[in-house]
Amino acid sequence: MPRWGMVIDVKRCIACWGCTIACKEEHFLPPGVFFNRVLIGESGKFPSSSKLIYPILCNHCTDAACVEACPTGATYVREDGIVAVDDDKCVGCRACLVACPYQQRTYYDQKTKDREYFPGQGKTEMELLGEKLYPLKVGTVIKCNFCSERVDAGLKRGLIPGKDDDATPACVNACPVGARIFGDLDDPDSEVNHLIMEKKGKQLRKEFGTEPAVYYID
Amino acid sequence: MKELNELEKIMFRSSGNGLKPYEWMVLPTRQQQWIDDKGIFLWLAFFFSEIGAGLYFVSMFYEYKAGLILGWLITLVLGGFIHVLYLGKPMRAWRMIMKPQTSELSRGIWIIGIYAVFGFLQMVTGSFNIVLNTISGILCLLIISHGFATMNVVRALPAWSSTMVLPLSIVSGIWVGQQVLQFMVAVSGSAAMASGMEIWAETFFFAYFLCVLLYAWGTYHSDDIGKASIVMQATDDELKKITWIGVGGLGIVLPLLFTLIMWGGDTNGVLIFLRLACVFAGDLALRYVIMKSALYKPLLTRQ
Repeated sequence: MPRWGMVIDVKRCIACWGCTIACKEEHFLPPGVFFNRVLIGESGKFPSSSKLIYPILCNHCTDAACVEACPTGATYVREDGIVAVDDDKCVGCRACLVACPYQQRTYYDQKTKDREYFPGQGKTEMELLGEKLYPLKVGTVIKCNFCSERVDAGLKRGLIPGKDDDATPACVNACPVGARIFGDLDDPDSEVNHLIMEKKGKQLRKEFGTEPAVYYID
Repeated sequence: MKELNELEKIMFRSSGNGLKPYEWMVLPTRQQQWIDDKGIFLWLAFFFSEIGAGLYFVSMFYEYKAGLILGWLITLVLGGFIHVLYLGKPMRAWRMIMKPQTSELSRGIWIIGIYAVFGFLQMVTGSFNIVLNTISGILCLLIISHGFATMNVVRALPAWSSTMVLPLSIVSGIWVGQQVLQFMVAVSGSAAMASGMEIWAETFFFAYFLCVLLYAWGTYHSDDIGKASIVMQATDDELKKITWIGVGGLGIVLPLLFTLIMWGGDTNGVLIFLRLACVFAGDLALRYVIMKSALYKPLLTRQ
């Protein structure tokens, strides 16, 4: 069984927010909800300052704090390493949201559901279609699922996630500079593993002991 | 124009601690889920569970049945009901018994369930034997500390990870519970008993004061984020009033004044009531600032 992971090359990232938008389109996310974000900061002082650009998403941690905190078992780690939420079991206690050191979860309430991209003008056809195609349950927690529906469907068709677009997360496909690489962390010959080994991939906030499956290289 | 402003608020939400949207998780960012909006229910639920169990605990020592009943009802009806109100899917609350092996919330549901049974047995039988008292006592201590224990296990929030969080919650639960009981005793006309309870009021007040100081000192010296949380409690526009007036004034200075006036057991019903009101407000304020000022470590690091 593969263990899916991602490598993000922060040197390549140009902060175009293409991943953010592709993710919102893929999951028909309402205004204010993001499964992918780009953080921009600075380090050092002029003249030796540098800009830090970090695209962030759910880290699909092996020892996920959210999984530990969930009182119902609604948040779980799939066999392929993807951290998923079973919205039939979620009670909306938001313990996972508080526990996540990366703050990559969103509580989906009625207020969020009712938001319109064009306030006061009603929902567009696209928004209404999204509610049918990608229904989110009010009162539960939602998050990035590494586009597991694409990965699962692709695998059934014999495609390879990370290589074939139809089996690869939308944010990876959308990245115009190829800063995101998706693949199997358990396969020693996978591109993600090579990159992690060669460029000494680092996990975000490793000190929390969550073992993220998203690595950053530069 | 109004709609546009509304859209801006939605699209570019600030974290609530004066951060600009683009500073979210780039600078220390405040936890919001367990205190803002509907999160306020959780703050109240933790408080009522704690003081109900505290009242029950102290009532056992005085074999005061009315205190037992009130404590049991506060914990289960107020604490439990408000907890359920907070949930996004209240009808699924029963599912929270599923994962006691890892989830502190789930453990809490089990403890409250067992406490409900034992407490009911104790109230019905009216028995204060050593076995029942020991079991109920342990359950009470677990419930008193449950709220802060749930927060304490969140590794990402240094302000909640302090080792002083659990002692503080236990002492504050017993302190508020003791004050409620002393007031009940005073109202029921047992002036001698209320006066006899004053020595414990003095003890618990100073223990509480010490715990608050140690919590603030320990968190301030834990790391930069813990320090920022304490600074935020003391200086943030919204929080500083609650910290200084609520925690400092109502929670410590006024109870100290009333305790000094009644020093040595010279109790007075009005002063006991005033001290109870202050302690109540002070403990609520303390919980509020601790929950409101918890900050996440920023995500950006130079590799």
